[in-house]
Amino acid sequence: MAEVQLRAVRKSFGAVEVIKGVDLRVPSGDFCVFVGPSGCGKSTLLRMIAGLEEVTDGQVLIGGRDVTDAEPSRRGIAMVFQNYALYPHMTVAQNIGFGLSLAKRPKAEIEDRVRHAADILQLSHLLDRKPKALSGGQRQRVAIGRAIVRDPKVFLFDEPLSNLDASLRAEMRLELAELHGRLDATMIYVTHDQVEAMTMADRIVVLNGGRIEQTGAPMDLYRHPATPFVAGFLGSPRMNLYEGEAARAMGARVYGIRPEHVLLSPERGRWHGRVRHVERLGADAIIHLDVPQLGDLVARAAGETTLAPGSEVWASPQDGTEHRFPA
Amino acid sequence: MTVLSRSVATAPPARPRRRARWRPALTGGLALLAALVVFVIPFLFIALQAVKTRREASRLDFAWPTEWQAWENLVEVVQERDYMLLLAYLNSTIITVGSVTLLVIFASMVGYVLQRRRSRVNGVVMGAVLAGLMIPPAVVPTIWVLQALGLFKTIHGMILIEVAYNLSFSVLLYRAFIATIPRELDEAAIIDGAKPLQVFFKVVLPLLWPVTVTNIVVQSIGIFNDFTNPLYYLPGRENVTVQLTLFNFQSQFSSQMNLLFMNVLLVTIPPLVVFVFFNRQIVAGMTAGAVKG
Repeated sequence: MAEVQLRAVRKSFGAVEVIKGVDLRVPSGDFCVFVGPSGCGKSTLLRMIAGLEEVTDGQVLIGGRDVTDAEPSRRGIAMVFQNYALYPHMTVAQNIGFGLSLAKRPKAEIEDRVRHAADILQLSHLLDRKPKALSGGQRQRVAIGRAIVRDPKVFLFDEPLSNLDASLRAEMRLELAELHGRLDATMIYVTHDQVEAMTMADRIVVLNGGRIEQTGAPMDLYRHPATPFVAGFLGSPRMNLYEGEAARAMGARVYGIRPEHVLLSPERGRWHGRVRHVERLGADAIIHLDVPQLGDLVARAAGETTLAPGSEVWASPQDGTEHRFPA
Repeated sequence: MTVLSRSVATAPPARPRRRARWRPALTGGLALLAALVVFVIPFLFIALQAVKTRREASRLDFAWPTEWQAWENLVEVVQERDYMLLLAYLNSTIITVGSVTLLVIFASMVGYVLQRRRSRVNGVVMGAVLAGLMIPPAVVPTIWVLQALGLFKTIHGMILIEVAYNLSFSVLLYRAFIATIPRELDEAAIIDGAKPLQVFFKVVLPLLWPVTVTNIVVQSIGIFNDFTNPLYYLPGRENVTVQLTLFNFQSQFSSQMNLLFMNVLLVTIPPLVVFVFFNRQIVAGMTAGAVKG
């Protein structure tokens, strides 16, 4: 368990600067999620913490120690990769114990610690198998086991769930959150999936174009996004955002309203529009409206809504839920 | 739905397939015939001459032998020039094993570094590797170098020559294969605390087995069968290699075709056996990395 600190970290590949000065403090024991669109530098940032990418400028501190130039294995970190990166020619037990055997630990100790990690992840019955005989979820668990056995101060996850199918992903999300509770270690998790970010994080770091856009607890970011980018990135379906004339009429450079905060009424409201399309998700329905004053407007309604394409409807924002981003 | 079912109902009945059936049979038969002429008939010819008497073999035809002399020819070939063939087998084996071992070690390491490390030197190295494939070696200067180093007419000198001549091909094979091994595997090992050599020998090299088999088989056959290079760089009676024993039975004024072909048969068998057994792996190792760069 240790605090991770980045001080004015920069990274360039040749003339291209991909990380443009990041300052960040991840408190000890936090589950911190880096989220952002592809190419925003979130993976690069994680790999710099891991020591797999050199830091062009700035400092990386783990547990108060400057590790900017330290070898990855001496940073007290463990990393789980997107494609698992299991050694295909080794059994599960050898995969998990590889780091320990490299460190020339006694056989009994290796066996002990491998068994302990396998117990935590319910892998004990698979220890003699090769990775190719495992399912995706089991492979992911072995990769996590390889991290646990190192007893690291910081766990790093690089999009660990994106190769799994949707239901397994939901299951592993829960498992990872529980694991965090049990191990009480600092975890840094990279994803482009805002659902993973919202559900797992103690703290979300939204990255965009090599810079931190905003940092905070998931619901804080959801309720009070600092920029239109954060507003549009978190939440599904995404927030309705308007620029130009429509926004100026609302007294802002960019005006935003979340679909769940749009109230629909047959008689009255602020905006009049016509239903273009209805997506029924069961519990609720996503209504796509054409509103002459704004353009497209997405609203969330109850699943049993009677609205159908072509119906005329009035929409208005709930009090206190509008977002006005100044120029 | 109605549109769909109507179109199915009015579709013309399937055309008779008779024409399509004899076509693969014909092309396949032609291919087999071609293979027979190119590969099998010469081999049968060799085998046939090898069991004839000297007089019959000198006619070099497909006539059936009137007198079978297989065993006598075999014994004579082996005993020729004080059991030279056995010495040749020993020399060829030493050269083949030695050079293939070095080739596998060096080529896999070079291929790994070329594929993985981002460095400006890589372009130069890659150029050298390609030059090794494209530029024909110059014999006389090579002999000067060997003489200066005291390696001329030595078995280990010959091993180094074979390594140098074949390294490019092996490097390219390894490099293409290593591209299919995810880089994250190296990184996971680095995080696990592996030093660069440990990453290579404990994680990457075991995964290179398919392409290593290909390399071993292809290079062994090539080096075992090499005729010209031992001829240039390894003169001397005690340095003879299997292919050079063929000279024992052919001279300007007299040739013993039956013994020559028996010799050919004997030196062809080891590579043939290797090839038959490892055929499948060769193809697997060659094509790996062909579609995924």
